[in-house]
Amino acid sequence: MSQESEPNGAISLRMDLKRPLLMKRLSMVSLLLLFFLIAALFLGISIGSTGSGIGQGLATLFDGKDTDAMRHTIIWQIRFPRVLLAILVGGTLSLGGLVFQALLRNPLAEPYILGISSGSGIGAIIGILAGFSRFPGVSATAFAGSMGTLLLLFVMSSGQAMLKKDTLLLSGVMVNAFCAALIMFLMSVTQDSRLHNIIFWLMGDLSTADLHQVAILAGVLIPGFVLLFCLSNAMNLLLMGRELAQTMGLNIKAATVTLLVATSFMVSLTVANCGPIGFVGLVMPHVLRLAFGPDHRILVPASILGGGTYMVLCDLLARTLPDQGEMPAGVITAMIGVPLFIILLKKSGR
Amino acid sequence: MKQIRYILFLISACSLFFYSGPSAAGTATDETGRPVTIPDDPRRVVSFAPSITEIIFALGREDRLKGVSRFSDFPPEATRLPSVGSYIRLDLEKIVALRPDLCFATKDGNPKDVVTRLSALDIPVYVVDPKNLEGVMTTIHRIGGVLNAGPKADAIIQQMHTRINRVKSMVAKASSRPGVFFQIEISPIVSVGESTLINEMIEIAGGINLAKGPTPYPRFSREQVLTLAPDVLIITSMARGGRFEAVKREWSRWSSIPAVRNHRILMVDSNLFDRPSPRLVDALEILARLIHPGLFEGEK
Repeated sequence: MSQESEPNGAISLRMDLKRPLLMKRLSMVSLLLLFFLIAALFLGISIGSTGSGIGQGLATLFDGKDTDAMRHTIIWQIRFPRVLLAILVGGTLSLGGLVFQALLRNPLAEPYILGISSGSGIGAIIGILAGFSRFPGVSATAFAGSMGTLLLLFVMSSGQAMLKKDTLLLSGVMVNAFCAALIMFLMSVTQDSRLHNIIFWLMGDLSTADLHQVAILAGVLIPGFVLLFCLSNAMNLLLMGRELAQTMGLNIKAATVTLLVATSFMVSLTVANCGPIGFVGLVMPHVLRLAFGPDHRILVPASILGGGTYMVLCDLLARTLPDQGEMPAGVITAMIGVPLFIILLKKSGR
Repeated sequence: MKQIRYILFLISACSLFFYSGPSAAGTATDETGRPVTIPDDPRRVVSFAPSITEIIFALGREDRLKGVSRFSDFPPEATRLPSVGSYIRLDLEKIVALRPDLCFATKDGNPKDVVTRLSALDIPVYVVDPKNLEGVMTTIHRIGGVLNAGPKADAIIQQMHTRINRVKSMVAKASSRPGVFFQIEISPIVSVGESTLINEMIEIAGGINLAKGPTPYPRFSREQVLTLAPDVLIITSMARGGRFEAVKREWSRWSSIPAVRNHRILMVDSNLFDRPSPRLVDALEILARLIHPGLFEGEK
């Protein structure tokens, strides 16, 4: 796996795909993953705690005027927003991992490990305890938390050192440990019935999705996806090494800051809505890189579509596996993601 | 003085009855001040908390109850009703599938966003928020009004008053007010502050709540409990059976505690004490008997 994150000649050759060839590969990969995403979407809205039926789900979706108002409500107002939320969150987290891995040239990097997720977690907990509503109140405190963490990261690895991959990653690991302790502290001094909500939320929870919330989230995240796609070639250059990237005319500092701030902002939004969900950002980029190669111009859209699909399927398992109630989606993403990651690591090592 | 307060309460309750009673079907205001559109005669009711389930059964309106929260286990018939998830983790899809025409939620426990989302789906949710014994009776009265069971609700409230007053007059004869440490959680040790229902019941039952303070559910170290030197140590049965015996043994090592010396470590059923339902008066009577066993010796 490390071969992709090291500067080497073979990669820079592959980066120089001719434009028509790139477009062809891009559209093929996107179409394939889009197909999986749409399949997951239909599965997601067809299955639920009050009975399932793929045909029935499809009929309700396309009929427009379904005779059964209640089923219509369940599919359109409850399952559909939840699946859309899962797509947005999964796409963002997976993209977040991809960006941080390129930026730090370290296959272990992802927003969760760097403390960005925990930072926004602290912000969100403060928001919940202050009694704010999930949107915009808690989202704002979560964003403030992640920005605070990012600022702390910048200060800790300031100046030239910031651009060295290990300083930032090490600072991130420390910040994450500190944030985790702070979360435990907040939880242990809270004597509050809202604590139960916080515990569920800390493990990642998509059950609060409603269309209005999803629409706002999409309005912010989709431009973010576009921005990161525009920067995908910069990520390729960053991976080739600082000196080479500079000679290719890339403003490293500007690209790094833009990527960090945009990604942290997007991740903090998902944290405010669903809690810190781990491992999507670690697993999906690696899976996709193994399947489609190291070119970020292909990996960015692939991460959005693939991460979305993965999250929809994990959330589907989270709400259907237990026969009473449901479990937090973060439990499933970790339980599937970690073994998958280890298997891939073993296979690619051979 | 207390008597006068209760008479005043009854009068205000009666006036409430005329304002928000069955005649006022249409838009009502729930206990959190939200306007709720309530059908004239709700037929498909879903309860989001075991306490609300108990109240609806006590009102004799269980035929309208189409779904209950998990752990709604009293009366036993309630366990046969479809579950809509635990009161913290309600399953929106299951609630909608029951096609309710009215849901009852509690402010303390049910997540606010479930209430907001159901309202957005045009399913009315009436939120109750009982904070003390009087508040529980107001809640019973209001649910009774909404479910057109006003007379039954008033009968329940009347009986609760009678039993509370009886405890009060019995306890008035006591020569002392023992210090009570009421332990609702074992590890960490958690007790109840002055804003809780249990604090109010300890006081009516003629005890002094040693954990009284502004924090609703304060935590204690073992050392602090030793310093408080409780005369009576009451542990709720969150963990039943063997667990209580183990906790009791653990406390028994500290013979400087008066409750240990006098064998006054006692267990009560947590479902009776932490649900704001008509059964709270059962809890109150049990508490009075535990705190003042001498006064109740003559009766069964």
